[in-house]
Amino acid sequence: MTVRYFAVLRDRRGVGEETLSTDCESIGDFICELVVKHQLDLAPALIRAAQDGSFVDDSTPIRDGAQIVLVPPVSGG
Amino acid sequence: MGLRSCSFPRYREVDPVFRLSHQPLIPIVHACDSAGGFVTFEGKVRNHANLREVLRLEYEAYEDLAVSEGEKLVAEAVARYRLESATVVHRVGLLEVGETAVIIQTAAAHRREAFAGCEWILDQLKHRVPIWKKEYYADGDSGWVGADAPGPNPELDAQLTQRQRRLAEIGDAGQARLKAASVLLVGAGGLAAGCLPYLAAAGVGTLGLIDDDVVDVSNLHRQILFSVEDVGRLKVERAAQFVNLLNPTVEVHRHAERLTEANVDRFVASYDWIVDGSDNLPTKFLLNQACRRHSKPLVTASVHGFEGQLLTVLPDGPCLRCLFPTVPAGRCVGTCAENGILGVVPGTLGILQANEVLKGILGYGEFLSHQTQLIDLRTGDTMRLSRQMNPDCPVCGSGMDICDPCEVESISAAQARFGEYIIVDVREPDEEPHLDCAHVRLPFSGLGELPEGNLVVVCETGTRSLRVAARYLAAGRSNVVSLRGGVASLAPDEPR
Ligand SMILES: [Zn+2]
Repeated sequence: MTVRYFAVLRDRRGVGEETLSTDCESIGDFICELVVKHQLDLAPALIRAAQDGSFVDDSTPIRDGAQIVLVPPVSGG
Repeated sequence: MGLRSCSFPRYREVDPVFRLSHQPLIPIVHACDSAGGFVTFEGKVRNHANLREVLRLEYEAYEDLAVSEGEKLVAEAVARYRLESATVVHRVGLLEVGETAVIIQTAAAHRREAFAGCEWILDQLKHRVPIWKKEYYADGDSGWVGADAPGPNPELDAQLTQRQRRLAEIGDAGQARLKAASVLLVGAGGLAAGCLPYLAAAGVGTLGLIDDDVVDVSNLHRQILFSVEDVGRLKVERAAQFVNLLNPTVEVHRHAERLTEANVDRFVASYDWIVDGSDNLPTKFLLNQACRRHSKPLVTASVHGFEGQLLTVLPDGPCLRCLFPTVPAGRCVGTCAENGILGVVPGTLGILQANEVLKGILGYGEFLSHQTQLIDLRTGDTMRLSRQMNPDCPVCGSGMDICDPCEVESISAAQARFGEYIIVDVREPDEEPHLDCAHVRLPFSGLGELPEGNLVVVCETGTRSLRVAARYLAAGRSNVVSLRGGVASLAPDEPR
């Protein structure tokens, strides 16, 4: 699957997009895995994921070959 | 000589002078031995206003109230700009073109304060002192003109907007809807710099601005309503002047306040559309909730570096908390000052916010009411991600309020939560960190494993410590918390 990082997540990950594979079954588990692995320094509960163009909740199963976008809260104005 | 000037008080108590006059005004020579800069401003009646020919003016005042408010204003100017003297004389009654309407005289040790004080008095006078102006036009018409309310000029309205009225979606009916509409902009910063000019130019009848901040030189690369000369001045004042110059038919309400839980309902209830141009998460979530309470549409945007995010919350659509049910700690994603921001990013997002509002008022196109738009200005990529109502939303569903679990508000809150805990200071050695109470020092740059047990992580402002706490929470450890606001926020009586 491809993962795109938005805003502060992109800064902390160091890349905007990457192709990954995972053993996680749900979106929520996958977010936790990425947060720990890449030290994204944001509580997983604050990160929202969109799969193939729609925001989904943490229990949603990951689709094969999905495009996942990770969106943190953004504060600047 | 030297002794005398030493004993001479630097700033004298000055009696505020504010007078009204029914007679023609003549500037008097003012003198003051301790002042080196003297400014005399004369405001005269000119023969045109708002592109109409003006023959004469009439000023009317609540005289007692005008004098007492005027005196307060002058006293404030004296204190603010360290003036050695200040006087204001305002005409009332009927004035012909060329006659003097107001004389403001200021004196200060140096010219800069004298000029600044004089201009400040003039700016404030229009809004705070109850004096009304009636314009008599060459075509026989006349009208009362408020400080913020423009004089009536249907012809100018029509000329300004002729090109957009040609669009079938707008026409005269759409233009009338714009004129009748009111929009509140929260925050007069970078997003407002994009949004405000286009709403004003399109002819939105009433615009409200709320912001308690003054212009800082570091704002100017993105907040292009302001110039270098505006540094130190109230943003809402300068932004309102910008609108008045761009389109004098727009009525501007300026609110030099911070949006809080105490005043948010009053503001949100008074406008048709709310635009969130704030720069912090607590304000965005506060507005989201208030707009839902009052069934008002909200257009919210936020920016980070080269990227921006935009969404519209309609009264019957998914809200910001549907997307983010957990209220993030204020500093979890940093600020523009910490992260950096390219000026065109808030400008672009602000213009798109204006477009959402115009869609709403005029009824063209499709809202971002069930989508979030993400924009990356490095590449020009934009993405629309669809979003839905969340039945567990704390604002529009039945969900509970959840706060970011990584933070505590104070040391005593940590005490209440943990009983026993260890304080970990993650500031760097070159910050010369100092804490009186027992603590462990583990600089953020070389942070290894944290010790076992309940930990309160601290840094100077609470940003780095929050990242550390979030990292440990993500790894499954929930007894590491960050002190909100950091060491800088500790009260003097708290252990340092
Ligand atoms: Zn909601």
